[in-house]
Amino acid sequence: MTEQAYDILLLGSLIILAVLIIASMIRSFLGPGISDRIIAINMTGTMVITAIAILSVFLEEDYLVDVCLIYAMISFLGVVVLCKVYTGVYLQKKKLKPDFGAIADNLTHQGEECRERDVRDNKGRHAAGEEDGK
Amino acid sequence: MILEWVRFILAGGCFAVGIVFMILSVFGVNRLHHALNRMHAAAMGDTLGILFVFLGLMLIRGFSMSSLKLFLVILFFWVASPVSGHMISRLEAMTDEDLGEMAVLEFDAIGADGEESPIAGEEELEHESV
Repeated sequence: MTEQAYDILLLGSLIILAVLIIASMIRSFLGPGISDRIIAINMTGTMVITAIAILSVFLEEDYLVDVCLIYAMISFLGVVVLCKVYTGVYLQKKKLKPDFGAIADNLTHQGEECRERDVRDNKGRHAAGEEDGK
Repeated sequence: MILEWVRFILAGGCFAVGIVFMILSVFGVNRLHHALNRMHAAAMGDTLGILFVFLGLMLIRGFSMSSLKLFLVILFFWVASPVSGHMISRLEAMTDEDLGEMAVLEFDAIGADGEESPIAGEEELEHESV
């Protein structure tokens, strides 16, 4: 009696996890930036690990838990290596300052440009609104 | 018999909470727009979702070697997930050239309908100081 209930519970959560894996794979295809894709792939890896752990209880095979542990380590290594590689490629391409210099550049220059543009746009919009009101 | 059902109900509750956290994290990653906001949603599934699902599995398996390995996976995830999140956020902050466009502080000054200009807050501040 309880075995059937356990089977239903494990199968149901496996089916939900499969749907979630498909949804996050779609996000990893769609994601506009490289970091969006890495986030989606990391989340897909988490859900695959959960599915393998549920399968190890469902099939009563203990060695699948070892597979799960190794999968977690390789997934973490993949994320770290991908981040390092893409950071290096970007900095080499743009010939920017490494590390926090690049972040400060992104924040200050773009921020000032954005603020100037916002002020300009707001003035334009206010003038247009006044004309519309009259 | 009753004890087995109690264990089943506890494991089912843990499973339900974990699966709900994972659904929320996938929903957040598909819903939010900036990568830094998406990371915030994804970290929830990495920590709380995996904690509750593996806690349910450990309740089902009982006190055994594979249960210890499941606990090891939780421990590894709780160490590795913040590190990978830090790496991804540094990649995003370094390669995103529109990082200054994420105007968090100016949103209150602009307002929801965009009536007031962002300078309004600064003018009020100057007025108060005078």
